[in-house]
Amino acid sequence: MTDSTSDGAHSDADLDPANEPRQSGPVERADGAESIVRIRSLVKTYFRGDEPLKVLDQLDLDIPKGSFEALMGPSGSGKSTLLNLIAGLDRPTSGTVVVDGKQIDRMGESQLARWRAATLGFVFQSFNLLPVLTALENVELPLLLAPLRAAERRKRAETALKIVGLEDRVKHYPRQLSGGQEQRVAIARAIVNDPKIIVADEPTGDLDRQSAADVMTLLEKLNQQLGKTIVMVTHDPAAAERASIIRRLDKGILV
Amino acid sequence: MTLIELAARNVLRNKVRTLLTVAGVAVAVLTFLLLRTVIYSWTAGVDAAATDRLVTRHKVTFVLELPLRYFEDVRMVPGVRVATFANWFGGKDPQHPNDFFQTLAVEPDTFFDVYSEMKLPATELAAFKQNRQGAVVGDVIAAKLGWKVGDRITLESPIFPTPPDQPWTFMVEGIYEATSKAVDRSTVVFHWKYINDAMPEVRKDEIGWVVSRVDDPSRAAEVASAIDRAFETRDTQTMTQDERAFASSFMASFSAVLSALDIVSVGILLIMLLVLGNTIAMGVRERTNEYGVLRALGFSPSHIAGFIVGESLVVGALGGALGLLISYPIVNRGIGNWLEENMGAMFPYFQVTPLLATIAFALALALGLVAAAVPAWGASRLNVTDALRRVA
Ligand SMILES: Nc1ncnc2c1ncn2[C@@H]1O[C@H](COP(=O)(O)OP(=O)(O)OP(=O)(O)O)[C@@H](O)[C@H]1O
Ligand SMILES: [Mg+2]
Repeated sequence: MTDSTSDGAHSDADLDPANEPRQSGPVERADGAESIVRIRSLVKTYFRGDEPLKVLDQLDLDIPKGSFEALMGPSGSGKSTLLNLIAGLDRPTSGTVVVDGKQIDRMGESQLARWRAATLGFVFQSFNLLPVLTALENVELPLLLAPLRAAERRKRAETALKIVGLEDRVKHYPRQLSGGQEQRVAIARAIVNDPKIIVADEPTGDLDRQSAADVMTLLEKLNQQLGKTIVMVTHDPAAAERASIIRRLDKGILV
Repeated sequence: MTLIELAARNVLRNKVRTLLTVAGVAVAVLTFLLLRTVIYSWTAGVDAAATDRLVTRHKVTFVLELPLRYFEDVRMVPGVRVATFANWFGGKDPQHPNDFFQTLAVEPDTFFDVYSEMKLPATELAAFKQNRQGAVVGDVIAAKLGWKVGDRITLESPIFPTPPDQPWTFMVEGIYEATSKAVDRSTVVFHWKYINDAMPEVRKDEIGWVVSRVDDPSRAAEVASAIDRAFETRDTQTMTQDERAFASSFMASFSAVLSALDIVSVGILLIMLLVLGNTIAMGVRERTNEYGVLRALGFSPSHIAGFIVGESLVVGALGGALGLLISYPIVNRGIGNWLEENMGAMFPYFQVTPLLATIAFALALALGLVAAAVPAWGASRLNVTDALRRVA
């Protein structure tokens, strides 16, 4: 993993010039740290028939590298929309999204897929493990895209399962796991390719209190011990408290 | 685990559905093979017919007879190397009334020279020529009815009737084998003269058709028109065609049936396509959410399309292979053997050829590809967030 230079003032030099349009003003940074996510003038408009629905309106956002952010806000405020745009799962109507030095809103689908595989781990509210695969195989899934030997893939998947504390469940199928365990497998899947940033959309939304607390402890550990940047959408104040920064989104605007 | 394994897991996911679809494809392949083999076998005679062999018949129809002296006249036409003649006998063995085989009254000295792909030992051939009541039978019919050289056989004919208690009797002098698959191995041939001698005066010296071989196959057409010219001013005109043209004019009466079979065999392929397409589309619809997950994990649109196409190809290949496998006992052993034994004149060689088997398998694969095309295209173009919202 190549971290960008720690010298913030020259970080732009690391960016791919083809993907990085020059900003007119100086690059803003939250907390003075280097931004792993930089969003400018982001607009996302959905159309319901002919009727436009502006979900995100001229949104600017910097997420410092290594931070653990919680994104809160009322239902329908556009949290998932924002998260999906950061993950490159959706395309902005206008504005730029730069993640880990790459401007992703201009990438083609295949390029975006490769970028996602290398840079980002996604954790869903409803776990989304493939039912036909064991825990180990589910974790191994993203590694199928990397040029790795089978033994190496297996080893990395086992390590990831160990990190989430499920080394004794490798052969279990999702239906043989509890919700909390499923989500931990999903987190192992999200970190197995050593991404720089983990995005999670209500990761504790489908879990009971104890499992939710376990998952939050795990995310905290990933952030503090492994230095992963985590962006998490949540409705749960207890979960949000574990984050280092809490942002609130209301009607498409960060408040 | 590999990408292939991942795709394979999905194929086996809904075992019952996959099994039913594979079975559906297999049945379609089997039916296709059967129909194509009927067409092939039926027309094989035409394709394998010699072009250096000319058939001279009554100009109006091959049902009408020619005078015997036409045989000598054909022989005299320059370019004709050897000629023979034959008559439909329409015989049946009264002891085996349900077994059909072709019976021909022939000119014994020349018949096997003209039909050189019918082979029998020289001693048997000589004995046949010697014996006015001698007969030569095909090895398939001989095996089926238990005839051996030296056996006495009896035949009844509606064309050449005899008193009920006095059927025609023949002595089996030889058993022929065929060097070409298009030759019927259930024909019975005997001396035309033996029949002719028993005929009343008005029906004497009539022959069905004259068959000749030409010296130079490339001049067959010239020789054919030379033969017909020789009879132009006679009371009965002739029509001479090479054997292939003769066989196809005979086939022409079945052309409607053949084209119907042709259409049905294409229809079978379409059904196969729909069966496969339905299964694939159903699976894709159910798994849309998973495709969204895979995309979120970094799989590209072409990976998704690859999974779907791969799955369809696997089902097509399994169905194709199964269809070929069951076609062997059913078509080649069962139906094929029965037809060759019982309707050898029509289906001398009823077997799935390697070429047809290859084509059928390739078609199963190709249809797998086509069936997957639309679902794969749709799934690969799905917006990831839309796919993720989709609940199975
Ligand atoms: N594909 C779409 N087409 C049309 N409208 C959409 C689409 N996706 C989201 N929206 C609308 O955009 C708005 C924001 O949706 P979003 O899912 O981002 O909200 P959210 O903040 O995540 O809400 P929740 O907390 O309930 O998950 C909602 O009003 C939603 O109806
Ligand atoms: Mg949401």
